[in-house]
Amino acid sequence: MSKLKVAFFDFACCEGCQLQVYNLEEEIIDLLELVEPVEWREAMSDQSDDYDVAIIEGSITRIEDEQRLKAIREKAQVLIALGACATTGGVNNLKNNFDMQDVKECVYGKDANMPHLDTYPTKAVNEVVKVDYMIPGCPINIKEFSYIVRCLALGKEPKIPDYAVCVECKMKENVCRFEYGEICLGPITRAGCDAKCPSSGMWCFGCRGFVDNPNVNAAKDVMAEYGKTHDDLRGKMLLFGSKQEFE
Amino acid sequence: MTVKKLEKAAFDKWVSACITSQRVFGVQAKEDRFVFAPLANAADLRLDYDVTILPPKKYFQPPRETLLKFDRNEGFESVFDNQPFVLFGVHPYDMVAISQTDKLFSQEHCDTHYVNRREKATIVACDVQNASKDVFAGCMGTATVNDGFDILITKIDNDYLVDIRSEKGQALAETIKDAEDADDISLKLRKLVWADNAELLQKHKLNVRPDVLPKLLGRSYEHPVWKEKSERCYSCGSCNLVCPTCYCFDVRDDVEWNLQKGERYRVWDGCLLAEFAVVAGKHNFRANRADRYRHRYYRKGKYVPEKIGEVACVGCGRCITACTANIANPVEVYNKLVDEGK
Repeated sequence: MSKLKVAFFDFACCEGCQLQVYNLEEEIIDLLELVEPVEWREAMSDQSDDYDVAIIEGSITRIEDEQRLKAIREKAQVLIALGACATTGGVNNLKNNFDMQDVKECVYGKDANMPHLDTYPTKAVNEVVKVDYMIPGCPINIKEFSYIVRCLALGKEPKIPDYAVCVECKMKENVCRFEYGEICLGPITRAGCDAKCPSSGMWCFGCRGFVDNPNVNAAKDVMAEYGKTHDDLRGKMLLFGSKQEFE
Repeated sequence: MTVKKLEKAAFDKWVSACITSQRVFGVQAKEDRFVFAPLANAADLRLDYDVTILPPKKYFQPPRETLLKFDRNEGFESVFDNQPFVLFGVHPYDMVAISQTDKLFSQEHCDTHYVNRREKATIVACDVQNASKDVFAGCMGTATVNDGFDILITKIDNDYLVDIRSEKGQALAETIKDAEDADDISLKLRKLVWADNAELLQKHKLNVRPDVLPKLLGRSYEHPVWKEKSERCYSCGSCNLVCPTCYCFDVRDDVEWNLQKGERYRVWDGCLLAEFAVVAGKHNFRANRADRYRHRYYRKGKYVPEKIGEVACVGCGRCITACTANIANPVEVYNKLVDEGK
């Protein structure tokens, strides 16, 4: 069996999801039995235009990003969006809550209008090109990444959960964060992280994005019962959920 | 069989002896709540607990359980966990749930993985000392239990009555076989505990006899309550996952990096989850929240009773506590059906 040629490309992000792939440590050798990386900025100097699978990390925030992404899509048979920035826009979406000129001035000061610093409101990868598979999370769950790679190598359709983080949290028998009077985004957030944050004593930040059909109205309704307001909920949802429906 | 009476010190000594000789899981504190967990010291055992976050079903049907290992060329081999274990501190309502699941998993197609674990278990039940905030076992006839367990513990003042009911129980109680038998007064006091618990474990009051539920549901399929309540349903499945009588699972395969060997495993599923009823071709038999919400009540109050002759809600109240949207209270829903059906 010939190995799949894989290229990683990064856009607006911290490249932390690529880093998770190195965190496979000795399993990287197993991974390399299945795939041949041809471009992977954090791991190798080589670059290539010849790849089967393009793994896109980061969100799209500039016109030149958009052109580069479209060119990658042309060449790739399969395109995977990797991590929160690529799948939902991630924390980069925060700027979409403000006027773009204010954002630029806040970050770049007197250089705000320099042409190379021109940015537009953040887009997720699937707002620009067709995405075949999404691997959500900030950062990604490396076990899920590995599972998806193996599925693709086998020609099997990978399945990412369309149920809430509560499912994994209950399986871990965590005390519900709501019992501590905290707002947790678990009930509307896609599972697959093994409820990492609630298992470590934090509420769910919603980094994997919503489930397909989140009951955001229920989330708003419920706030009053916990002595919270819609704004409290919105505050929690802003970090990863700015682009997602609140109204 | 016999009922022994042990003072606290002797009781702890017996628990320690059990821990030394067996794999013991017992109820312990976890933050502000309680859980069944591996028991290392008798002092960690909290028989004064109100309710555990998850029921003891996790030991018979783990959240994730390997069913078989396969090799794509050489076939497969089933995987069983054959190590005996002791469960210490199972409340009566959970004991009833285990007995129900025993029937369901051995009826028709016997689930060998479940039955194997179940046969390996010695169950030490204990009467409730402190009612949880949402328990309604008293309404469901499950505040006390008379069978299914190997040993039943009841605390009477500062002593423990250890009621040994089976050979497995006798084996576990070997080190206390010479302890004094419970006196008549203690046994009478135990009856009072049972009578009290039947009253005390009614934090929510069901206005209908549980055996009437199948009939009540039979005429309530189109009731507006399903839609009303489900508008606030997240479809998070918390009510299912913490339920001692929910046993649905999903079967999945995963391969190793060599793409040759792998395993088939099952994980807990729940009928409230959006994809629960999706079949081949992606058709979803219960695509609406209201349909899924209704299904749980029918499952507990009608479908399972039709299979085993018992209502599949034991009144532990875990679903009420676990539902952050506060819509999962079976008592509230069933009472509404009674009131509005008149």
